[in-house]
Order: sequence, then structure tokens, then C-alpha cells
Amino acid sequence: MVNFLQYIFFYTVFSLPLTLSYRTTKVINFVHANFITYGAYTAVFLHGVLGNSSIVIAAFLAFVIVGGMAVLDNLLVFTQLQKRGSSPAMVMISSMGLWIAYRYLLYVLTDIMHFYTSKNFVSYGRITYSDIPSISLAEFNLSQAFIASMVATILVVSSLYLILEKTRMGRAMRAISDNATLAEISGIPRNLVINLTWFLCGGITAVGGVLWTSFSGAITPEAGDSMILQVFTIGFIGGLASLLRTSIGAIIIAFMENIGIAFLNTYLGVPVSFRPFLTFIALLTTLILFPPLGAGGGLPYRFRKRGLSQ
Amino acid sequence: MIGFDIVGFIISWLTLFGIYAILSLTLNMESGVSGVTNFGKVVFYGIGAYISATLTTYLILMLNGVDIVENPPYNINGVILLGELGSKNPVLNIGLFILSVFLSFIVAGFVGYLLSYPILRVGPEFVGFTLLSTGELLRIFLLHFEPVGASKGLMAIPNPLGWIPDSRVRETLYLIVILAFLALTYTVMKRLLNSPLGRTLKSVRDDETAALCMGKHVPKIKALVLFIGSGFTGVAGTLLSYYFTSVNPNMFVPSVTFNAWAMIILGGMGNLTGSLLGAALITLVDRLLTFITPLLGITVISPDYVRWIIIGLLIVVVLIVNPRGILPEKPIKTPALQQVEEELKK
Repeated sequence: MVNFLQYIFFYTVFSLPLTLSYRTTKVINFVHANFITYGAYTAVFLHGVLGNSSIVIAAFLAFVIVGGMAVLDNLLVFTQLQKRGSSPAMVMISSMGLWIAYRYLLYVLTDIMHFYTSKNFVSYGRITYSDIPSISLAEFNLSQAFIASMVATILVVSSLYLILEKTRMGRAMRAISDNATLAEISGIPRNLVINLTWFLCGGITAVGGVLWTSFSGAITPEAGDSMILQVFTIGFIGGLASLLRTSIGAIIIAFMENIGIAFLNTYLGVPVSFRPFLTFIALLTTLILFPPLGAGGGLPYRFRKRGLSQ
Repeated sequence: MIGFDIVGFIISWLTLFGIYAILSLTLNMESGVSGVTNFGKVVFYGIGAYISATLTTYLILMLNGVDIVENPPYNINGVILLGELGSKNPVLNIGLFILSVFLSFIVAGFVGYLLSYPILRVGPEFVGFTLLSTGELLRIFLLHFEPVGASKGLMAIPNPLGWIPDSRVRETLYLIVILAFLALTYTVMKRLLNSPLGRTLKSVRDDETAALCMGKHVPKIKALVLFIGSGFTGVAGTLLSYYFTSVNPNMFVPSVTFNAWAMIILGGMGNLTGSLLGAALITLVDRLLTFITPLLGITVISPDYVRWIIIGLLIVVVLIVNPRGILPEKPIKTPALQQVEEELKK
């Protein structure tokens, strides 16, 4: 049950930025997986190389570094491609290329760090942070990860709400996601807003990655990649448009992955490692039954029985 | 350079080229020509490889009267027995090869056909992601499924030409087999591309709504393309499993798909000759790196990682600098077009 709540927090933090970035910039971003991993590895390198044990410092640095990375991606790749008039599919393929480059760049970095410190960075243990209080409620001992991710999720959700609903910047972001051209005509500095969105999205995802280091027993350079199925499925449940539906998606997937698989394991003997299959079934169900119709340029076909259409 | 085996290098390069060229040709047909962003090439590749591996190892043991309940091919006894029995009967080996090529075409194609259903109504982003995650799921399934060897995979798969004693002759003959399959794939794809179906596919890629309004049944066409493309990819998987004589789940990571993508982007989307060129270039670099690295003696940075970084950046750079690739797409040669050209020459 605690795990269930824990995963809700993680999935919310990971998938809200995905939805936000897609609906504002119309780029489906596979580098999102790298944002998670790079966030986690900022914390890992800070801990392993510099001996930092404060989650606040780690989260702040990860926010800045990965946010900057996201903005750079946008400036150097996505904007260039969109300027040339490439189709969304091409932009997606380029994000795929970036994904693979970043992923193996991290492997190279871990190798270099291993060379200097002779610590094993390819599978790094859980980090215990010094600035998280441990709280005991009645008989429950709440773990550090639980407290940290709860606080962070509440912070992220409330600040996103405040930014989007109460500030000029948020209004500009929503305007661009509704209709970019119209927004630009009415005087919104489109490129600036898109860059800020990228910074925010990268940063929030990276904070999620930092939280992951306080929870996962073995942090690997593929941490983000193994999460990508869940995160994108949650985004699809939200239609990559609605932040509220994305949060509901996070709850559904967290429920299926923790309570659903435990149920199947007890009664049908399905091994726990087949957990992603449940998510995949959820993905297919979403695509077949409640497809985000016409999303990303697809056609809203309806399959009917022959007699009905005539 | 001491110990640089030039003939062996060329054979291994051409073999790899043949297998990857089949992948890139079919991927070009699916993605470059008909606009299905297939990020799950590795699914069909893996299915083909695993079907032939499982079929061959189990059948060889069974037909030689070994009790496969006691000595399944994935444990150590099975592997030893396979090594002994694997190359005794040429007819059996070749028969199994043909059977598994056939079966993997059908099964991989059928899986492709099924997978086309959930992805019809959404755009390329969702299609790409769904197929990508299918690939990861296949890998997770294979990692935990005992009868196909779980994480160890299957070893000592008897090569169809394993009965030839001289290894160089055997490799050359197998290379010819692979190139024959490549030629077959190329011919089929070329014919498809220059047929009315090929033009319909291009119209689906360029404007789905328009194609639908012209009375083309877009869902059926996409399913058909995925069936054919995936079928040939399955055959490529079969060829791979016999070439390496072993399969394990970590051979089928998503990176394989991106390798094929890099080839078609480099060579030119929508141009079949371009994908051959792209496959040749990238496999050449790949082989050269593998052959040269031991001579350089760098230990801090693994060349494997550097290769993938290069591939990733290559995709991005080519898309930004020259999105049409080395050989840009050409108009389809139809009799009408040829007639017009001849008239213009006069």
C-alpha cells in the first residue's frame, strides 16, 4: 500500500512534465527518459564524487542542469528542425537519436568517473540523505523516499497549478498549447515561452530522478529507460493534453502495477517481473477503446459493423 | 597491421550488411514510403530469430531421439548434445532452415498485422512509441521465459551448412545464401514500390485524409505493409540466429531499431538504393571499429558506447543538415512517366 502511494508520487512527477511539454511544443520527447536518468545521476555523482548528502542541493542542481539540457535540445535540434518545416515524425525521430546519444554518453561518463574514483556507478546503491526528517506515524515508519517524494509531489503539483492558472507566463503557455499561431499574433513571445516550458519540464523530471535515488536499490544508467513505458502510457491516458487526466492515469497505472500484480501473483501465479505487461495491456486498451482520437495527426477512424454505416 | 584478416573481415562485413540491409529495406518500405513510424523493428527481428532457434534446437534433439524433457536445449547437456548431433545430417539441417524461414515469415508478419490494429487511429508519435514498448516487452518476456533459455538464451543452434568441414567455405556459402535473400527482398520491395500499391502508400504518407477521400482503405493498406515488412524482418532474424548460432534477449535491444533508422535516414528516406548504401556504410564503420579497437588498446572508454553516440548524433545531424539523405527520393517509374520522358526527349 505504501509502495502504491510511492509510485503514484513518482509517476505524477515524471509524467506531468511530459504532457506539459507535448501540449505546448508538440514535440514527443523521448529524451524524457534521459531527463529522469540525468537527474538521478546528478545526485549520484554529487554523492559519490563530492560527498554531498543534501537532497535539496541535489534537487536544485539537477533542476538547473537538466533544465539547461532540455533548453539546449530545443535550441539546437527541435527548433532547427521545425524551422526547416520537418514533419512531427521527423522531430520525433531526432529526439530518438538524441535519446540514444545521451544514454550512451552517460555510460561513458560513468566509466570515466569509475576510472577516477573506482566506485561502481553503473549500479549505485540507495542514497541516504541527511536533510530528510524521519517520521513515525503510530506503527508506520515512513521511509525517507516516501516523505521526500510526497513533499516534492505536492510542491510540483501546487506550483504547476499556480504557474499555469495565476501568472502571465502560465496563461501564455496555455495560449500556445491551444493555438500557437494565434498566440504569437497576440504578442506572446513564443520562443521564450517554449524555452521556459522546456526548462520547467526538464527540471521537474530531473527532480523526480533525484527522488528516485532515495528509493531505488540500484540506480543504473537505464533507470529512466525502464520507466518510459509507464510514463508514456500515463501520458496517453491523459491524451497528452490534460494534466488532470494525466494524474488520474498515474493513479491507475500505479494501482495496476502494485496491487494488480500482487493480486495476480497470489491467485494465478503470474511472476512479478511480468509487471510491464499489465501496463502494456493498459496502453493497448487506451489505444483501442479510448484513443486520443486524431492525436498527433492520426485519423479518427471508427470501426463499425458493416450494416450500421449503410 | 599484424593479424588483420582481410578476407575474414570482408566476409563478416558482407554478412552483417546482408542482414541489416534486409532490415533497412523493409523499414524504408514501412516508414520512408508509407509513413508508419516503426520503432519496433526489433520485435519482428527477435521473433524471427527466436522462432528459428527454438524450432531448430528442439526438433534436432527430438528427431535424434533425445528426451527433451530431461535434456532441454537450454541446459548444458542439451548444448553438448546439440554440438554432437547438430552437423550430422545435411538434409535435416537444410530442411529445418527452410522450414524456419517460412515459419518466421508467417509468424512475424502475423504479429505485425495484429499490431497494426491498435495504432491505426493515432499519429506517428503514438505508433512509434507503441511499437517501441512492444520491443521492450518482448525482451522482458524472453528474459523470464524458461523454455527459450531465459536470460542465457539458446546456444549451439546448428547452422544449415554446418556439415561443411572447412569454416571459410562454409562462411562464404552462408554469405551467398544471405545475399540471395537480400536480393529477393530488394526485388520484392522494388516491385511493390513501383506498383500501384507503392503509389498508394506514398499518398497515405503524404496525406492520409486525401488518400481516404480517394477511396483507399488506409487501415487495410497499413496492415498489409506491416505484414510484408515484418515478414521479411522475421527472415532477417532467422538468418541472424543461424549466423551467430546463438540467441539471447540482450541481442534484441531497441538500439537495433535505431541502427536501421540511422541507415535509412543516412541513405535517404523513400529510396531503396539509399537504404542499401546506408546499411553498407554503417555496417562497415561498425565492423571497422570492432576490428581496429583491439589494436588501439583504449580501455577507459568502451568503443561500443562511442559507436552508439555516433549513431544517435548521426540521425540528428543528417536530419538537420540534409533531411533527404545521400540519395533523395525519386519519382516512381510508371509506364506513363516513361512515355512522357521519351516524348520530351524527341
